[in-house]
Amino acid sequence: MKKKRVSISSIIIYILLIFWALTTIYPIVWVIQNSFKAKDKILADSFSIPTGELFTLANYRKAFNNLNILGAYKNSIFISTLVALLVVILAGMASFALVRYSFKLKKTLQSLVMAGMMFPVFATVIPVFSMEARWGIVNTSNWWLTMLSVILPQVAGNLSFAIVVLTGFIKGLPVELEEAAFMEGCNAFQIFFKVIVPITKPSFATVAIFSFLWSYNDLFTQMFYLRRPEMQGITVLLNRLTSQEGTNYGLMAAAVTLVVVPVVIVYIFLQKYIIKGMTAGAIKG
Amino acid sequence: MKKRILSLILASAMVCSLAGCGSKETGNSADHSVELNVTTTFAGEDGNAQNFKTAVDEWCKQTGNTVADTSATSDETFKTRVITDFETGSEPDVLFFFNGADANSFIEAGKVVSIDDIRAEFPDYAANMNDDLIADSLVDGKKYAVPVNGYWEAMFVNTEVLDAAGVTLPGAGYTWDQFKEDCQKIKDAGYAPIACALGNIPHYWWEFSIFNHTSPETHLNIPESVDSAQGAAWVAGMEDIKELYEAGFFPENTLSATDDETFAMFTEGKAAFLIDGSWKVGGIVNACQSDPEDPSTLDTDKLAKFDVTYVPGQGDRKATDLIGGLSMGYYITTKAWEDPDKKAAAVSFISYMTSDDIVPVFAQHTASALKNAPEVDESAFNPLQVKAMEMMSGVTSLTGAVQDVFQGDCRVSTFDGMPEIVTGRVSAEEAVAEGLDAYHAQ
Amino acid sequence: MGASIYKNKKPLLVFLLPAFLFMAVYLYYPFFKNIINSFQQIKMLGQVEAQWNDPWYTNYVELVHDPVVLISLKNTLIMMLVTIVGQVGIALILALLVDNIRMGAKFFRTVFFFPIVISATALGLLFNLIFLYDKGMLNQILESLGKTTLTDWKSEGIALVTMMLPVMWQYVGFYFVIMITGLNNISEELYESASIDGATRFQRVRYISLPLLHNVLCTCVVLAVTGALKVFDLPWTMFPKGMPMKTTFLTGTYMYYQTMEAKNVDYGSTLAIMLVILGIITSKVVHMIFKEKDY
Repeated sequence: MKKKRVSISSIIIYILLIFWALTTIYPIVWVIQNSFKAKDKILADSFSIPTGELFTLANYRKAFNNLNILGAYKNSIFISTLVALLVVILAGMASFALVRYSFKLKKTLQSLVMAGMMFPVFATVIPVFSMEARWGIVNTSNWWLTMLSVILPQVAGNLSFAIVVLTGFIKGLPVELEEAAFMEGCNAFQIFFKVIVPITKPSFATVAIFSFLWSYNDLFTQMFYLRRPEMQGITVLLNRLTSQEGTNYGLMAAAVTLVVVPVVIVYIFLQKYIIKGMTAGAIKG
Repeated sequence: MKKRILSLILASAMVCSLAGCGSKETGNSADHSVELNVTTTFAGEDGNAQNFKTAVDEWCKQTGNTVADTSATSDETFKTRVITDFETGSEPDVLFFFNGADANSFIEAGKVVSIDDIRAEFPDYAANMNDDLIADSLVDGKKYAVPVNGYWEAMFVNTEVLDAAGVTLPGAGYTWDQFKEDCQKIKDAGYAPIACALGNIPHYWWEFSIFNHTSPETHLNIPESVDSAQGAAWVAGMEDIKELYEAGFFPENTLSATDDETFAMFTEGKAAFLIDGSWKVGGIVNACQSDPEDPSTLDTDKLAKFDVTYVPGQGDRKATDLIGGLSMGYYITTKAWEDPDKKAAAVSFISYMTSDDIVPVFAQHTASALKNAPEVDESAFNPLQVKAMEMMSGVTSLTGAVQDVFQGDCRVSTFDGMPEIVTGRVSAEEAVAEGLDAYHAQ
Repeated sequence: MGASIYKNKKPLLVFLLPAFLFMAVYLYYPFFKNIINSFQQIKMLGQVEAQWNDPWYTNYVELVHDPVVLISLKNTLIMMLVTIVGQVGIALILALLVDNIRMGAKFFRTVFFFPIVISATALGLLFNLIFLYDKGMLNQILESLGKTTLTDWKSEGIALVTMMLPVMWQYVGFYFVIMITGLNNISEELYESASIDGATRFQRVRYISLPLLHNVLCTCVVLAVTGALKVFDLPWTMFPKGMPMKTTFLTGTYMYYQTMEAKNVDYGSTLAIMLVILGIITSKVVHMIFKEKDY
């Protein structure tokens, strides 16, 4: 009797989850299927599967012939990985301090973090660009400097969000663990790196995913800072290819597919850190 | 023997050092390679992106110089980027950019060199151009930008819809009243007469409706106030659009549709008329071609249904008086001009890009400023391009767009506010007055 | 919290300085310039020399009298409700459900994330084609059901719904991932001991998951509310310039419109300041409400 009730509720759960999954999978399928269609066929026939007459590789041919896709992937992944790493480290430390310490300016700093999350990038891009121009790191032929010029503002842009999320996670941690470590003679830094970081690994992974994603998809900043084609990321490059004519939907779908692939890989790779049981293991270790 | 070799070495060393000195002074030595930073709008899907790339490669091969091409498609971000580059001193050496109000800020700041100043040192610079056709700067009246390809705005027609509605293809004498009659016939036949998204891109109708109440001589004057004669002309133009809207000549969803949607209506044979720019020739051809890379997939029957003609006129404006001109050109920045290494290279680059051989490749059916425009080989063009060239040959005048002078937030009340005007929520006078106030406040 | 370990404040500086230095240089300093801009006359982004407005608070007067600001605030308020109920609510339910199944959990975690991966331009296009007047997916379906006239999903009455549904749908995955992370931070042992005590699945959720998720939930609501204030890309792709008739403007899209399209950069800066202030206020309100609640 009891067993049966459980299985009915399980069926309902699965129906709900599968329904939502369908709504999230279909757009990806739609984008991919249209990337194999010629652009004039899409408006008329965007919801059918490309077979026979409808199927074409022209969009991908065009993208690969005209652009250095691999080089762009390299730039993009370098930028976004570094942004994600820096954000996680800096925001992690700041959140820990904001949660565990009590001090005079705490409320002010918290408001500053909130404010930082609201600043629209259009409001800050010009002063930041002039500042970096004075330092001589924008618009140079040096690859490293150019990468740096876009990484730094992106790190700053993602910090607020990361601090807000990580604060939420760290608040939920039981303080007993840290006390135990303190008893054993750990100082604040050791507590942070040996207790907090291991326990909150899933949270750090989550924040890293989003920082990576936003840096990767941030067209406006990248377009503004990365001018030379050989230094541009994949998002910018493909946007250049598709922007002039807003109607070339086939090419656009191919571009989106090419952009999405690495992010999905990064997500699946990082997702393994967001799994159950981590917490228990960390407590014992 | 030994002595001879030595003297030979000496002699060659002297030649070398002389050449070295020479290149320092003129920057024009062939063995001294220069990297030129060039920003243009020939990028992305711009019809001339490939032409530009080919021409750049050819120039580099000929001169031994290299080009760092930082071109991007022309949009608001691009304009902001160029302006910011000038402000922060990271501008390119050579720039292909608009010659209207967009260029004001860096011309005011003296960051580009005028053609006259360049000619003082390089007398042949842009000598193949007809100076009268090169636009004067709005700041100081000097000429800065050497033009390549121009643009025109005219009326594209889907003849399939016209045939179905029993309307003949309009020609040079097309009047506003005939146009309205034709629209009614087309509407009665169940089609949308005009493909235009008034809530998204009313620009072309705005321009021509005002043009219909001014003349080629006076069109570019911005009204002193809404009460002046010119102001009344602007109001009358807005009223014309409102009349068309009330008669139901725009698509039903013209206020909520995007330009892409109404353009698709036009290419799919659901709408008859489309006022747009010369760049749409490529757009229409593309819409008839399933593989953009492969000209053999062009649906010639479909393309044959499209034509391009004059815009119905009234008053002092004949149908053949069109909007058009040369709105962009090559600038040399002061930064490059003052750099002895780059000066000559920049001049050589622009001279190459604006030579009699290269300009026609870029200009095609649009205007150019060449003194001696070479004969074009029609067989190299598709049917719509040929029709466009024929249409262009009958043009009586090309006038610049007044909206290129009337830029910034003064446009808002009549461009983005167009839906409010045609639905009567805001009167045309009020909207025009608001825009003019904003303009004169600048 | 009052543990003696955090009495020594010296490490504080090391923890806080890097992050805040970064933000000071790249966010606060530029935003300070933005505040100055709001008192000036700037007609083009990137213009450096500018005149002062006369009187200096001109833009703020305009802000109060601008009917579009009111529309955008009203729309944003609706958007906030939609995001709290629609995004955070649905995400919470989905996260709890996924947390309670064994088979396929990884699959759902992956696919629920998809919508945030696809760029807004592409999603905008997809939804434009679904809602297309002549003849998008919806109008095709309605036609096959016997409807003879076409529905304009972007016309004035219904535009807000057409705009908010996709935005809501897109970010469910975002909150879902945050909440699933929060649930994973909860020790498995707690659930196990509860099971031994005979707690049902529902009781485990009610008495363990929800209370321990409280802080994360609070974070999500803060993100949702402030997110609604600045949401921009998808609404803008589907309804550029507040079409139709400026009725679909949100605070985020209106700020973009004034800065980039209308070239009224100084007024755009003023709107940005309004946005920041509203963001701080709403987040404080959310924190206040959440502190009082006790599970």
